[in-house]
Amino acid sequence: MAIELHPLEQFTIERWIPIHIGGIDASFTNSALFMCAAVAVAIGLVVLGARRRDLVPGRWQSIAEMSYEFIAGMIDDNVGQEGREYLPFIFTLFMFILFGNLLGMIPYGFTFTSHIIVTFAMAAVVFIGVTIIGIVRHGFHFLSFFVPHGVPLVLLLLLVPIEVLSYFIRPFTLAIRLFANMMAGHTMLAIFAGFVTAMGIFGFVPLGVDVLLIFLELLVAVLQAYVFTILTCLYLRDAIHLH
Amino acid sequence: MDEREKDDPLRELGERLDKARRGRTGSEKEPAPTPDSEARKALGIGLRLGLELVVAVFVGTGLGWAFDKVLGTRPWGMIIFFFLGVAAGMVNVYRAVTGMGMAIGYRRSWQDEAAAKQSPADTAVKDEDED
Repeated sequence: MAIELHPLEQFTIERWIPIHIGGIDASFTNSALFMCAAVAVAIGLVVLGARRRDLVPGRWQSIAEMSYEFIAGMIDDNVGQEGREYLPFIFTLFMFILFGNLLGMIPYGFTFTSHIIVTFAMAAVVFIGVTIIGIVRHGFHFLSFFVPHGVPLVLLLLLVPIEVLSYFIRPFTLAIRLFANMMAGHTMLAIFAGFVTAMGIFGFVPLGVDVLLIFLELLVAVLQAYVFTILTCLYLRDAIHLH
Repeated sequence: MDEREKDDPLRELGERLDKARRGRTGSEKEPAPTPDSEARKALGIGLRLGLELVVAVFVGTGLGWAFDKVLGTRPWGMIIFFFLGVAAGMVNVYRAVTGMGMAIGYRRSWQDEAAAKQSPADTAVKDEDED
């Protein structure tokens, strides 16, 4: 009996509305649809929460306020007071990734964060943005970032390339972490789902595994959005509080 | 009279808000770690260690390959950058483990103070910094 499994099929990009602008494929895909949905849900949540500004918040207002306080607290803890001006960007980033991950958990949904080009684009924006902030705030002093204190000149020849390299690794780890977690989780779900029918009467075993995996994936979805955001905060702190 | 009484709790709230706002923009320039945030940080660190090492090696090797392609120095760029990548990955993991975050460079005055307060193991890092 041949088991037909296509665990990677779920990541296929489908062009729903083909748009070509000057040789560039800008089609409206299922990925684009879910990005729009993530934006819409995030905006909807905040707008709905801010519609009635009660002194004692209701449900929606509570959710909106809690997510704001969460990100604000994260910035206070990890960046400091000067980080507050970047709160809109970090809040947007967190909400976008969070709802991207969570909307992907809906059956037949599409997880756009499982595509490395999406996560790398976000990581590149963070990396370039943080570097520009560092240079604008500190000028050429920013380059002292790569020179450890109190090291003999000979060792500097070795240490400076290492420091530079470990700086340029940042966007890659940031992108790969989110992408790998999302893709691995969804692939695993699909594989176990494929076993359910293949194993006949014992199909309830992989089904049970899948149920548990769904909870794990929900945790991973929230956690990875959190990790992406907190690393952005840490990079921002390095750029602001240059030693 | 009625209006004044209605006003009062709100004015008090306003005063408290002003106080909170002053506290926010006050002298506290750098973050003060709380136990709760420390636990959250630990979780984040645990999740990123393994990847850090692997990606560093790949990025190093890839950069070396790119250098070779541009400068025509095959195979030296790739060899040198491979080892630099390994070193950078280890440095990153070491920093994450010793509680220095992903900081590039060594000196972290305010973090060292926090680390010294927490555990004696972290003071090793501090000693190193003073060299």
